[in-house]
Amino acid sequence: MTLSRRLVVGTVSVLAFLVLWQFVGQREIVRSDLISYPTEVFATFVHLTSTGELGSNAAVTLQEFIEGFVPSIVVGVVCGVLLALVRPLRELLDPLLTAIYTAPVIAFIPILVVWFGVGTYSKVVIVFISAIFPIMINTRVGVSEVAEPWLRAVRSFGADQLQIVTKAILPGSMPAIMAGIRLGLGRAIVGLIAGEMYVSIAGIGRMIQTYSSAARSAEIIVLVVVIAVFGYVCVALLRSAENRMGTWRSDLE
Amino acid sequence: MAVGSGIAPLPALVLPKVRSKNEAVALGILGIVLFLGLWEGAAQIGWINPVVLSSPSRIAVAFAGQWESGQFLADLGVSLSELAIGFALSLAVGVAIGIAMGLSRTTEYALDPFVWFLYSTPLVALYPLIVVWLGFGFATVLAITFMLTVIPIVVNTLAGVRSVDPSLVRAVRVFGGSGYDVVMKAVLPASLPLVLAGVRIGLGRALIGVVLGEMFSSNAGLGFRMTVYAAHLKTADVFVPLAAFVIIGVITTQLAILLESRLQSWRT
Repeated sequence: MTLSRRLVVGTVSVLAFLVLWQFVGQREIVRSDLISYPTEVFATFVHLTSTGELGSNAAVTLQEFIEGFVPSIVVGVVCGVLLALVRPLRELLDPLLTAIYTAPVIAFIPILVVWFGVGTYSKVVIVFISAIFPIMINTRVGVSEVAEPWLRAVRSFGADQLQIVTKAILPGSMPAIMAGIRLGLGRAIVGLIAGEMYVSIAGIGRMIQTYSSAARSAEIIVLVVVIAVFGYVCVALLRSAENRMGTWRSDLE
Repeated sequence: MAVGSGIAPLPALVLPKVRSKNEAVALGILGIVLFLGLWEGAAQIGWINPVVLSSPSRIAVAFAGQWESGQFLADLGVSLSELAIGFALSLAVGVAIGIAMGLSRTTEYALDPFVWFLYSTPLVALYPLIVVWLGFGFATVLAITFMLTVIPIVVNTLAGVRSVDPSLVRAVRVFGGSGYDVVMKAVLPASLPLVLAGVRIGLGRALIGVVLGEMFSSNAGLGFRMTVYAAHLKTADVFVPLAAFVIIGVITTQLAILLESRLQSWRT
């Protein structure tokens, strides 16, 4: 009942927005090269796809994303567990890590481009740095909040150090780790697109930059929607992976 | 917890905690000093190329230069005022929209799709459109900061209003309060904790907005200066605004956390 009302009102307001946009844009009430309009955006999407321009650039961006994000999960979780378990290490590094975590990572883009060049390598590093800190810090917090009885139970059945980590600590902190990965995902996408827009040779961000210097709003809007859909799909995949893992507490977060 | 276990456990529980706090601070400072020392040492010995990676002493010299020329303070002023104005605008508009959505289901349902689209879109990508609309400079930086900041404040305010105990609203009504009274005396105070959580998240995003806006579409401010130095490969100079952003991020986040905890202690 309530859900259907939510659906109806939501759909109506989105449709109203699209119709208004179409009307204002097509009738040139506001210059259409500034705001475009829905049918033009759709036609542009079809055109960019059929020429292969969108596909080839998206492939570059996707590759940079995977090459940076997967290592950041592995390294972030391992470092997070280490930080939680080794207290002197944690206390030694905590202020530094917190400072970098709260800092806007995109501010590192210019210096990273100086260090790693204008190609894909600097983007991979940006993705890695953007994602690793939320993952590391969430893992650390999650591990230190694993309930003591769990640890005692595993230990009392004669588990060694490695088994304690794999059987109690990792499963126990999984919700926090997944929350960190989701947070890292969002930051990684922002960092990647900003990095490509700052300077690059190919990729979605590069396309945005090219079309913006030509003030082509329709192309820019297509690319923005493509990125938004990509982010949405990634979050949906993460959620389903989370459910598959049987994380019964996923709603806590 | 320690019932019947005598006096002994008490100091054992309390003392290490106090000591470990001092230890943690000392170790934390040591960590930073070690990091800077290693960096400086590696640059001096020649393990790393100081032209590319710079070094703390070079950055200090660069900072002194930017400070004396007045460049640093001018940039800092621009960035901080963009941060302050952008954030204040977002706070005012975000809280207003959040309350409107919280008080009326229809408003909530109508705005929901847009809020979620903006929440999940990397808004960086929208900046070229804003430049096309508003041109280069202050207004564009403000607009980008606003877009990034307003959404988490709306979402948190909405959650805050939802969390308000309906009996509080009824109490204000019973005593003859108007709609305005309901908002000012019941809804806003009761949803304050979540609004403040939104403020904390929003501050972080506002800073990102300022950095992005200045890097891509400005001619002043710390972010703009960074791109200029980077283009001239003046790495030591790049680190000065970069360090300033890190410090601003730490200070604003700590202030927001302090504000939140103050409120918590005041409420309980």
